[in-house]
Amino acid sequence: MTTHLYALSTCPYCRMTRKFLDEHDVAYELTEVDLLEGDDKTAAVDEVVRLSGGKSFPVLVVGDEVVVGFNKSRMNQILGL
Amino acid sequence: MTDEKRPPRRVFGPDTTAEDLKSYMGPFAQRLGYKFNTETDFVDEVLASELEILERDGDVYCPCRIRSGDPKEDLKIVCPCIPFFSDQFAAINKCWCGLFIREDIEDGADLIGVVEEVEPGTIIEVPVMPLADIAPGSIRHVKLGKRDLAIARVGDEVFALSNVCRHAFGPLADGFMDGYEVMCPWHGWRYDVRTGTTDHPNADVSTFPVTIRDGMVYVAVPLGRAKP
Repeated sequence: MTTHLYALSTCPYCRMTRKFLDEHDVAYELTEVDLLEGDDKTAAVDEVVRLSGGKSFPVLVVGDEVVVGFNKSRMNQILGL
Repeated sequence: MTDEKRPPRRVFGPDTTAEDLKSYMGPFAQRLGYKFNTETDFVDEVLASELEILERDGDVYCPCRIRSGDPKEDLKIVCPCIPFFSDQFAAINKCWCGLFIREDIEDGADLIGVVEEVEPGTIIEVPVMPLADIAPGSIRHVKLGKRDLAIARVGDEVFALSNVCRHAFGPLADGFMDGYEVMCPWHGWRYDVRTGTTDHPNADVSTFPVTIRDGMVYVAVPLGRAKP
């Protein structure tokens, strides 16, 4: 099951989410959207909007599940922690 | 005026500190019914992020959201962005980040992190202004989500009605109060601010329940669709 985190480099919730995932030894792919440029950035933002319906971060994708924001209980639930 | 001729927008200088941000944001948020989160370490972390963003992007954009590149759209995510999302934030008791929480929330710790979804259409009491900011016999415009409302005060009573006159769409909040009636500034149509009714047929405007608590005026509106 793929786990992907869309984050902003300046976002406190993104840092909290990364720390949470690291502390629970969850492997994940990371995209720091604000550090991308040009078409890569546009594509990543479009993907975030498609997944979450908005432009708030972080957006964590675990399989078919999407979590917006730093939501410990939902992350515990969908990651089976 | 073309974009080339428009003077540059003024923003904070490069030597801005977190204390500078606190001292300007705090009183402004208070007028909107919000305060800094009670978790001071979290507040310091968010403000530190905003200073990074200020240095990189030129203004204190929300650390939780990404700029679109459209200057007009991006103005809506300059902190504090409460006026642009007042109904959404009232529904979740905080701004997206949780930097600001509603004045009536005692402990903001539980509001950090979770971006909760509230069903569109849910009735939300939105703080709109301190009672002291509207004098008896006056009327003011507020924007709640996509709604334009006129807030009218008569004595100690406050009323909320649609701001848009049904005749030619004049802004009622720019009109003239006469007892319980407001006269539209464009052609003088009169509306009863208590009921939204007018003598003209099929031209009444919507009204919304108002509550006053601890010196703050709250208006109950159905929550618009979220666009975080």
